[in-house]
Amino acid sequence: MVVDNLMQWFESWTLWEAGSPLLFLIVVVIAGVPIFLLMAVNALVAVYAELKISAFMQDRVGPMGQGPGLHAGKWGLLQTVADALKLLLKEDIIPTLADRKLFIIAPFIIFVTPFIALAALPFNQDLLIADLNIGVFYILAVGSIGVIGIIMAGWSSNNKWSLYGAMRSAAQIISYEIPVALSIVSVIMLTGTLSMQGIISYQNGTTLGILPNWILFNNPFSFIAFFIFFISGVAEVNRTPFDIPEAESELVAGFHTEYSGMRWAFFFLSEYANMLIISGVAAVAFLGGWHSPIPGFMESSGWSLFWFISKVGVLIFIMMWFRWTFPRLRVDQLMNICWKVLLPLALLNIFGVGIWTLLIG
Amino acid sequence: MSKYLHDLWSSVSSSIIGMGITFKHLVRIRKGNVTLQFPEEKWPRPERNIGFDHKDYNVIRSKLHVDMDDCIGCYKCARACPVDCIKIETIKVPKGTDIGTTSNDTKKRLLVNRFDIDMTECMYCNLCVYPCPEECIFMTGGPNSSKHPIDYEFSEYNREGLMYRFATATQEEIDRYTDTETPEKPTEKEETE
Repeated sequence: MVVDNLMQWFESWTLWEAGSPLLFLIVVVIAGVPIFLLMAVNALVAVYAELKISAFMQDRVGPMGQGPGLHAGKWGLLQTVADALKLLLKEDIIPTLADRKLFIIAPFIIFVTPFIALAALPFNQDLLIADLNIGVFYILAVGSIGVIGIIMAGWSSNNKWSLYGAMRSAAQIISYEIPVALSIVSVIMLTGTLSMQGIISYQNGTTLGILPNWILFNNPFSFIAFFIFFISGVAEVNRTPFDIPEAESELVAGFHTEYSGMRWAFFFLSEYANMLIISGVAAVAFLGGWHSPIPGFMESSGWSLFWFISKVGVLIFIMMWFRWTFPRLRVDQLMNICWKVLLPLALLNIFGVGIWTLLIG
Repeated sequence: MSKYLHDLWSSVSSSIIGMGITFKHLVRIRKGNVTLQFPEEKWPRPERNIGFDHKDYNVIRSKLHVDMDDCIGCYKCARACPVDCIKIETIKVPKGTDIGTTSNDTKKRLLVNRFDIDMTECMYCNLCVYPCPEECIFMTGGPNSSKHPIDYEFSEYNREGLMYRFATATQEEIDRYTDTETPEKPTEKEETE
């Protein structure tokens, strides 16, 4: 959407002929700026929220600075800003025996993954970088590129912890891709489209009289599909309780053990951006995207943005809630859940949704 | 199959119970938390009771304080100090000049123009307190609470801040007595700096 509008606007200058590759490049770079800002702001806000939520869940108070200067703002509001500044100023260490080129490239590959995935995430009717006709498929496909970066980071660090973490991460992400994709398949069977805006427009109106016509409430199978998607989504972004790639107590910090300063910040940034994407896809595919929870009520573009962001925020909060509630799973338990529980249930769901649409829908 | 379903159910239900517990802690934010915001809030100091009366012991090693109104500049504390952290300089005043009396009715003979205690060096041995004839140097708090409230949290941003300068003699007074007579240089182990 944004890309198309920008293209038209630039073409109206008639400096470039329509469809010029140079023009396209300029437009893409311009469209990338808000995504980068979004990722940065998301990380700042989410890290602060995580600090506070974790603190409250453990009966602590979290960052509690009392004003600017040496302390981190009132209620520690500037804590994440201070953290970001500290990371920018830290020394960038590359181990002598590391594979230098791969070590430098890896954080960028991991960073690029959520960056390009965010391009297809619709924030309201118009706020969407590119309305792809294969939006969901694109996001899921692009999301798997990150594992290459993780393996690169783990291998190039020349460190046993990093390598273990990277291997575990690869096994985990590849396994959990399947339930994620299968639960999305059951959504696509209902909507009949892969486009993000198409999936959202399917969820317009009401169901069962009062409930919004979200896919979550469409039928019992899609209700279960949401939970399958969300649990495997949490696993795919390597969040606790599925964080065996960076299990602190076993692997120091997993694949990013050797990273410091700004390179480490890139891992951090992309972790929180990945949470944003999984929550965003869950909100689009199951919770009606930017539709209001009360159908037809407050659905102007500003309110749509608000609804979408609050849905994503609630899902990110639930991810943090998971993190501070559940202990980490063992590797075998992790694989057990994926292949013996989530995968059969996801397959059953596809079958169930098929029968449902055939008989009732 | 029934075990599989039972396991599934028990994992889901126990997860919900666990999340309920953390949520309960999340919503009662300030009630149960254990963190004390230290400089603003402090734990109440426990009652001291080590078997004998509060007034009879002087063991609180908190912070040295000097009551300059009572100090006669006798150097006894500086001599007693094992680490030489007390630095005193005095000026002899002419005979008959009244520069005050102490609370023990001792006439002051020397003007103390420097009385510095370097608390970075002080090892809180309390040895300077015993020789003082006027009982003007003491540890704050405890039995001396009536003279000076307890003060044991005296962190500073700068080392210089831990150099406590107690001398109260004004520059005018110092000038007056140094003009009339050459100050008697103390020969004791006074200057190490």
